[in-house]
Amino acid sequence: MDAKDILGLPKNQLPIPQEKKSRPPKEPQRKPDGISREVYALTGGLAPLMPSVDVSQLKRRPPSDEKVTWQWLPFTNSARKDDLQLFHWVRVVNGVPPTGDYAFAKYNKSANIIKYTDEEYEKYLTDPAWTKEETDQLFDLCERFDLRFIVIADRFPSSRTVEELKDRYYSVSRALLSARAPPADITGHPLVKEPYNISQEVERKRALSMVLSQTKQQERKDTEVLAEAKRITESRMAAKGPEESELPAVANIGPDNSQRAITGDAVTPSTAMPSSAIAASSTLMADNASTLASLRMLRVYLRTYALDQMVQAASASAGLRTIKRVEQTLQELGVNLKPKVPTKAVCAEHLELRKEILTLLNLQKQLQYKEAEGTSFQDSPYSETPGTPKRTPRGDQDRPFMPDPLGFGGDRFGKRDQKRKAPGRTSEAAQSPSQSKRPRKMKASDI
Amino acid sequence: MSARKQGDGQPEDGGATAGKRLKIAKFSEDPEKKGLSRRLKDAEISLPIVYGTIAFYLGRKASESQSHKWTVYVRGATNEDLSAVIKRVVFQLHPSFNNPTRVMEAPPFELSECGWGEFEIAISLFFHPDVCDKQLDLYHHLKLYPEDESGPQSTKKPVVVESYDEIVFPDPSEAFYARAQNNPAVIVPRMPAGFNISAPVAPENTSERERGDTKDHPLSQWFMNFSEADELLKLAAARQQVQAHIVKLRRQLSVMDGMPQLSKPAPAYE
Repeated sequence: MDAKDILGLPKNQLPIPQEKKSRPPKEPQRKPDGISREVYALTGGLAPLMPSVDVSQLKRRPPSDEKVTWQWLPFTNSARKDDLQLFHWVRVVNGVPPTGDYAFAKYNKSANIIKYTDEEYEKYLTDPAWTKEETDQLFDLCERFDLRFIVIADRFPSSRTVEELKDRYYSVSRALLSARAPPADITGHPLVKEPYNISQEVERKRALSMVLSQTKQQERKDTEVLAEAKRITESRMAAKGPEESELPAVANIGPDNSQRAITGDAVTPSTAMPSSAIAASSTLMADNASTLASLRMLRVYLRTYALDQMVQAASASAGLRTIKRVEQTLQELGVNLKPKVPTKAVCAEHLELRKEILTLLNLQKQLQYKEAEGTSFQDSPYSETPGTPKRTPRGDQDRPFMPDPLGFGGDRFGKRDQKRKAPGRTSEAAQSPSQSKRPRKMKASDI
Repeated sequence: MSARKQGDGQPEDGGATAGKRLKIAKFSEDPEKKGLSRRLKDAEISLPIVYGTIAFYLGRKASESQSHKWTVYVRGATNEDLSAVIKRVVFQLHPSFNNPTRVMEAPPFELSECGWGEFEIAISLFFHPDVCDKQLDLYHHLKLYPEDESGPQSTKKPVVVESYDEIVFPDPSEAFYARAQNNPAVIVPRMPAGFNISAPVAPENTSERERGDTKDHPLSQWFMNFSEADELLKLAAARQQVQAHIVKLRRQLSVMDGMPQLSKPAPAYE
C-alpha cells in the first residue's frame, strides 16, 4: 500500500517522499475496435465488466519461429530481504528465460513514514502529553504496521486510544512537513489542508457506537414516533381545510379511505363516523345491484363467477392492503377464500361475512385513530411541533401499516390499553401540566 | 374455476321436462316478450353441477406415454341427469391428443383417455335453446399425480379432483321454467301463490330414454360429497365470531365518544 497515494501527497515534490514516478495523466480511453459507437456509449466509457480480448488476437497463431516452452526455474523475490530461492513454471520463448524482477514483487508496497532527527524533535515536536520515547515507539509501530492504527493501538505499550495515536502521528508529520518545506509549497498538502480533528473523530465514533448498540426495540420505537409525527402533521394539514376533507370522507369511505375519513373525524370527531358508516353500507348495496344487473346480461353464469364479481364490487372501495387483511381474517377463521360448495345460500353468507369483516376492520381503525387523534389534539392543539404524541397506543400503532395477525384485536386491544394506561395514571399525578408539554425529542435523547 | 360466456343470440322456444326443487324469488312479467319466449324477471334457475377428473395409475401396465387412465366429466351435484338442461358438452384436450376436441351429445357427459401429462381441460357446455343460447366454459386442471408424494402411486386409489359449482340462468324463459319445475337436477324458484304457468309438459318417456344420471356410475364410489350444510355451519360460526367482535369494538368506540376530550387523562410518559 502506498501511503502517499492514500494521502494524495504530491510525488517528487518534497524531500522526504522517495522517488516515485507520478502516474501519467489518464488520457480519455479510446473506443475499442469491434464495438459499435452506440453500444460503447452505453458503458459511459467505463471499462467493460468482462475483459474483452480482440477476436483476431485469439485466432492469431504464434509466429512459427517462436518456440514456446514452459520450464521449472528458480527465482528470487526482490521484495524479500532473505534471498529465498523458490521455483516456478516460466514461459520460455526460444530457450531464453525471461529476465527482470519477479512479477509480483511490485505489489510489496509499504507506507512512507516520515523520519525525524533528535534535533528536529527538540525543535518542533515536543508535546507535554507525549515523551520522545513514546513518540519513537509510535513511529516504529507505524512503520511496522503500515499505519494500521487499530493494530498499532493494540501493540502500543502505554494505553492510548486510536484517536490519540492518530492525532500524535499526524500532528508530528504536519509539523515536520511545515518545518522542512517553505509554507507556500505545502498549503495544498492534505496534512495541512485537512488536519486531523481528534475531538470530531471521538464524537463520530461515539455516535456510531450509539447507533450500532441500539436495540431493535428502540429502533422500532423511533420509527414509530416518526411515523406518528408524520401522520399527525398530515391530519393537521387536512384539518386546515375541513370542507374539502369532509366531503370525500362521506362519499367514498372505503376502509382504506378511512385515513381521509378520520382526518375529517378529527375535526368533528363524534358526528363524522356514523354518517360515514352509513355511506359505506349504501355504496355496498349499490355495487351489488350493478353487479347483479351486469350478471343478468350474461344470461348464464357460474355461481362462483358471480361470487367473485360480488366480492370484487364489495371491496372495490377498499385498498389492496385491506382486501389482504380480510382474506387473512377469513383464513384465520377457518373459512375458505372460495367456498367449496358455492350454493346461493353459501355465497350470500360468504359475502355477508366478508362485509362484516370489513366493518370490523373499519371499526378497529377508527378506534385506533380516535385514540391517537384524541390524545395528540389535546396535548398540543394545533401547535407547530408535531412530535408530541405521548399517550398514543404504542403497541397498536403499527396496525395501519402492518396487517394484524388476527383481525380480532378486540380483547388484545383492550388489555393492552389497560396495561399501558395504568402506569401512566400513577405518574401523571406527579407531573405538572407544564411538564407534560415537554417535547418528546428530549426523551428520545436520554435513552 | 372461472367461467366465461360467449353468445350467439338465438331466440328460445319451448321444450319439456319436469322439475321440483324450489327456491324463493319474485316474479314479474316482462312486458316486451310474450308467449314462449316470455321471461320470468328477477327469478333464477340454477343447476348444481360437479365437474372434475378421476385418474387411475396403471401400475405395471403403465408405459412411457400412457401411465394413467383418466376420466373427465360433468355430472349433477347429486348425480341427477343433466340432459334436460345441457344439450352438448365439448371437452377440449391437449393438442397432442388425437382429435383433441371431443363432443358429447348425450349424458353422461364424460370422456376417458390415457396419458402421462397434466393439462388444463376446457369444458364448454351448450344448453337447450329454451334454456340459454349462450355457451358456458369451465376449466379444469387434469391431475394425475397425488399431492403428497408418499411412496409409489397406488393403482387402487385414484386421484380425484372435483369442483362444485352452480350454473345460474337469470330471468329464465317460461318454457324452461315449466320444464324445469319437476326436474330433480334443477333448482327452481317458488312462484308466488296464484301464479300458474300453463306448462304444456309433454310427458317425457323416461324409460325409453337412455339413462342420463350418474347414480350407479362405475366411478361413483370416488365421487366427492359436497355438503352445503357443513359450509353454512362453518360460515355461521365465523359470522358469529366476527359480529361479537364488532359489538365489542362499537362499545369501545361509544365509550370513547362519550368521553369529553378535556376529561381524558393527561398525557403521561412511559
